[in-house]
Amino acid sequence: MALTRHHPKAVIAAGCSDLVAQFREGLEPEVLISLQRIKELREISNEAGILRIGSLVSHTEGSRSPEILSSVPALAAAWGSIATVRIRYRGTLGGNLLARRYRYEMPVILSALGAQMQFEGGDIAVLPVSSLWDRDSLWDRTLGNVGILTAVTVDTASLLWFGYERSMRPLSTVSLAVRKNTAGLTVSAVCGSEYRQPFVLSHTAEATDIAELDPAFVGEVLAAQLPDEAGDYAGSIDYRRHLVGVLCRRLLAEATGTQRKG
Amino acid sequence: MSLESPESGQETFTHNVEFELNGSPERHCVPTSATVLDLLRNSCGKQGVRASCERSVCGACTVLVDDLPVAACSTFAFDIEGARVETVEGLAAQDGTLSAQQQAFSECGGFQCGFCTSGMLMLTTGLLRQNPQPNREEIRDWISSNTCRCTGYEMILESVERAAELAGAKQQDQASE
Ligand SMILES: Cc1cc2nc3c(=O)[nH]c(=O)nc-3n(C[C@H](O)[C@H](O)[C@H](O)COP(=O)(O)OP(=O)(O)OC[C@H]3O[C@@H](n4cnc5c(N)ncnc54)[C@H](O)[C@@H]3O)c2cc1C
Ligand code: FES
Ligand code: FES
Repeated sequence: MALTRHHPKAVIAAGCSDLVAQFREGLEPEVLISLQRIKELREISNEAGILRIGSLVSHTEGSRSPEILSSVPALAAAWGSIATVRIRYRGTLGGNLLARRYRYEMPVILSALGAQMQFEGGDIAVLPVSSLWDRDSLWDRTLGNVGILTAVTVDTASLLWFGYERSMRPLSTVSLAVRKNTAGLTVSAVCGSEYRQPFVLSHTAEATDIAELDPAFVGEVLAAQLPDEAGDYAGSIDYRRHLVGVLCRRLLAEATGTQRKG
Repeated sequence: MSLESPESGQETFTHNVEFELNGSPERHCVPTSATVLDLLRNSCGKQGVRASCERSVCGACTVLVDDLPVAACSTFAFDIEGARVETVEGLAAQDGTLSAQQQAFSECGGFQCGFCTSGMLMLTTGLLRQNPQPNREEIRDWISSNTCRCTGYEMILESVERAAELAGAKQQDQASE
């Protein structure tokens, strides 16, 4: 961590599968700090309802982790479904998030889960994954030194259900989580696509049981929140709203145990 | 395109890399930006490691690093310090006897032009080490990370299944000896 303070412009290297591409795109760092040998960054734990995943955990390790399989099995399944065998062994959670490429899926998957990123050695300590595309945040690299992403945490205590739909990738992916809180049940959905940043959608229903949610209604309410800029080269905004509505409905039907329709 | 050659006039930072290649020790001084592909093809003469997309998409450059399949084109050479690296050149025995994987691809016609074959063989080797009896779905999952433009994947899938049979039989023979 001292190294990042000493070299605030240093580029951090994890699995390097994206960095090699960045080099080919013209990145020429003066200092490269490799995290490969920091064992602590590979740890996964679940204590008091907080799942903590080290940033250096690879896609394969994450999808097979007993802690994740026992606390949020659908997260393990979603994680294991991305990329290809070679990339899954090499690519890491931290690299997938901090490459900040629209088409990468862990930001979509983890934003719906309300995940928080933990940093050390920079100007910030904690940021929600959903802030990766905040326009006015430090993500504009000239504004601040984020240091090293050490881990991602997920509150599993209030989580009732989670699911991820990537069958329509690259047009649209959707991850969806249902949580219990004092206001009722909050459904958070995140829509990802190849060419646009992920968009976070949310709906709170006065309900106590997940079976009380109406998949068609909630799906429509969520999809309607997609802003116009979510339309891209692959699909107009009308089409994307329709598609996201269908995917949300499908996930909610699974969550509520309702027979899938249409 | 190789990352190894800097623009003229640019300073090059170098790095010493020691690793094991097909069972023998290797030591090379490479630019920090060199990839494993650069190192294996240019410094170690392993031309069986193919270069094609150089974006870790096509699979032609697949090698095993500590038993796991890796895209040599998209892995920095400094990252294989102390690792065990295997390329297609290390598969056959010293006397030229083909490995189970090579034998199977040859029997089942798992190649046509052969360009993708070294990557396919290394993926097969990595898969069978983890799971000696993979089912079709697992084979498809692994092989799908390597593009073949001429064989048609059915014969490649059959080759991997046959490789599992041959490797299993070989192990049984060894156990009964
Ligand atoms: C062929 C191919 C297919 C792919 N398919 C998919 C897919 O289907 N879905 C998907 O989601 N992804 C996909 N990916 C992306 C892949 O998952 C990423 O390449 C990978 O997650 C990046 O991880 P890495 O550890 O290699 O990152 P690196 O290349 O090491 O780093 C990427 C970026 O993150 C920064 N960084 C990394 N770790 C940290 C840290 N701890 N702290 C601070 N900064 C850090 C680096 O500085 C760099 O800017 C694919 C990639 C390829 C090449
Ligand atoms: S050349 Fe490495 S994957 Fe294509
Ligand atoms: S045999 Fe020609 S590309 Fe596969």
